[in-house]
Amino acid sequence: MRRILVTGAATWTGGHLIQHLEREPETEVLAIDEIEPRVGFDSDLFEFALDRPEFAHFVIDAKPDAVVHMQTVDRSALLGGRRAHDEAVVGAQALFGAIRRCESISQVVVKSNVCVYGMGPRNPSVVAEDAAVEGTRGRYARDLRSLEDYIELTASNRTDATFTVLRFAHIFGASVNNPLSRYLRLPVVPTRLGYDPRLQLISEHDVVRAVTHALANPVGGAFNVAAPGQQYLSRILRLGHRISQPLPRRAYDVAVKAMSRADLHLPGHVKRLVHHGLITDTRRMTDVLGFHPTYTLRQTVLAGYGVLPERAAP
Amino acid sequence: MGDEILTNLTKNRLMEIARRLEIRGRSRMTKAELIEAIQRAEPDAADPLPIRRPYDPAARRAALAARLDSFVDHTRSCNWRSIEGHPCGLPAIKEQPRCSIHGGIDIADVAVPANGRLGFDTWPTLLRHIWLASYDIDPIGLDPVVAEMFWHLANYLYFEYFRVEVEGVENLPTSGPALLAANHGGAALPYDAVMLTLAILNEMPVPRRARVMGTEIFNASPTLSHFYRKIGGVYASRADAGFLLERGHMVGTFPEGVRAFQKPFSQAYHVQRFGRGGFVTMAERHAAPVIPVAIVGSDEVHPALFSSQLLARLVRLIWPSQRVEEMAVYLNLIPLPIRWRIRFLKPIQPSHAGTDPDPLEMLERTEGIRLLIQTNLEEMLAERGSAI
Repeated sequence: MRRILVTGAATWTGGHLIQHLEREPETEVLAIDEIEPRVGFDSDLFEFALDRPEFAHFVIDAKPDAVVHMQTVDRSALLGGRRAHDEAVVGAQALFGAIRRCESISQVVVKSNVCVYGMGPRNPSVVAEDAAVEGTRGRYARDLRSLEDYIELTASNRTDATFTVLRFAHIFGASVNNPLSRYLRLPVVPTRLGYDPRLQLISEHDVVRAVTHALANPVGGAFNVAAPGQQYLSRILRLGHRISQPLPRRAYDVAVKAMSRADLHLPGHVKRLVHHGLITDTRRMTDVLGFHPTYTLRQTVLAGYGVLPERAAP
Repeated sequence: MGDEILTNLTKNRLMEIARRLEIRGRSRMTKAELIEAIQRAEPDAADPLPIRRPYDPAARRAALAARLDSFVDHTRSCNWRSIEGHPCGLPAIKEQPRCSIHGGIDIADVAVPANGRLGFDTWPTLLRHIWLASYDIDPIGLDPVVAEMFWHLANYLYFEYFRVEVEGVENLPTSGPALLAANHGGAALPYDAVMLTLAILNEMPVPRRARVMGTEIFNASPTLSHFYRKIGGVYASRADAGFLLERGHMVGTFPEGVRAFQKPFSQAYHVQRFGRGGFVTMAERHAAPVIPVAIVGSDEVHPALFSSQLLARLVRLIWPSQRVEEMAVYLNLIPLPIRWRIRFLKPIQPSHAGTDPDPLEMLERTEGIRLLIQTNLEEMLAERGSAI
């Protein structure tokens, strides 16, 4: 019996991952989250806030074989900035402190995000996993950075376990409700005048596939995970038959503020993404991890706009 | 060669013979010394003077059109179809099922016009493909269709306005990585970067793209930030240069950097210091030959009147993100119609490929390349008649 602990069970990707793991033989899932799940699953949900010491003791007592840390989404809109920060950083401290003590854990998979590199005009055009990037990081990216620092520290103490960090490109899909997807699906999309960023995206189905692939094939290290291909924002909007409305900085800021009042809050990392763009080198994903996304960027975009028929969830 | 023939020649012609005979120190010689040196080097050589062909833009454009047309097969159409069922409508590349923009060739390396020719009559089809967003870009941001339209427009500057003449195209490799190191000049707009890429596209048997590197000022400026990427520019960083060289592409650099823009007109064609010579390290690491390029013309397009630190401070005050330390003030807004010449020199092969050379050796090689470009510039200037 393989016992897998999954944090962030309430997220779309977390819920679908649990559904997938439930179908596998000889697998028991411990689902952790503090809010109501978006996707239903059969396993028991344990309601814990990650930054509580009780959670760490729960992990140690449960003696799981593998841990999947999916609660790395930006919850600042839901919980408030300070609370989200505590949950991310103190939660990472609690989780990885427990992993360090719990001898039974042999595998840890963490869902990270490419905005951990930071974004700005001095970024290399294609960012590799070990690149020293001086881009600007917002609070979310800094939280991810400190999470990855905890992973590094724990990995150096637990050399018997594999630690896989999957740095996903921004997720775009028809069933996803993240800020970037909502922004791209607006009928008229305000963009920065004079900037046309190059974007990489990944389909929500490929996120679940990547995590299950990493669970089945343990390879340590950090990997950029993105759909093959890249495209300019203006072309992505053309593919979705959206109208892009370039605005100078002041007008753009006003539009973004108006959107946040209309329940479309653009967090800093998404704003920076649609200003500077970010492309990562995914060769380690295909060559070392051996993962091949099933959607190309074009298919991800078309599926996200509902032009391509939705494929069955994995 | 008879004594009287040599004395009747102009000094420029003598310089040209001296260059072909590889006589050292020729740029400092008087006419009499040149004649003596030529006779000493090759007392009875047949007339080595090539007949300088008159500059004929129409003939050169026709040759280019014939060469570009040989890549596509007009009898077959590309088999690409959009999700809505739109056909591509462009001719396929020879022996390939697809056209140049839908994956018939490596768009990052070879630039073949989508219709097999450049011209305003092809623009409607090109604009249609931009509107449909039907093709993919390369990871750095190269957009083959925008690059082709820019190539077509800039060719008017290249053939008609600057009348660029090119020597040494045979020194450029038709495949595999290569690093071009050229002298920089001009003004705020990098005409030399454009002319360098066009020289390679227009004159090489296979139109290869030289991916020229630009500073972060491009990334931070509106419009330019994406336009320079779409036409094939690259952000000047080790990561980007390494990414392209690893995949066997040609990278163009101006190792002088912005220093070249700040020099006054009295310093025209004085090649400035080559930074720390990072380009030599990159070439060694990726086993790429360095091809020095001498460009005559770029420094006279916008003669700089003076260079001011006060003006740069003012610019920094208005745009704090710009990191300029000195700014030049130029005589003219419209570029002067200077006659350009671009000379590609013999490739310098990496000495110990795959490793980093020691810093001193790197410094010596960098300086060697700088001096090579400098002597070639002086020669080309001596040979040149009127600048206009």
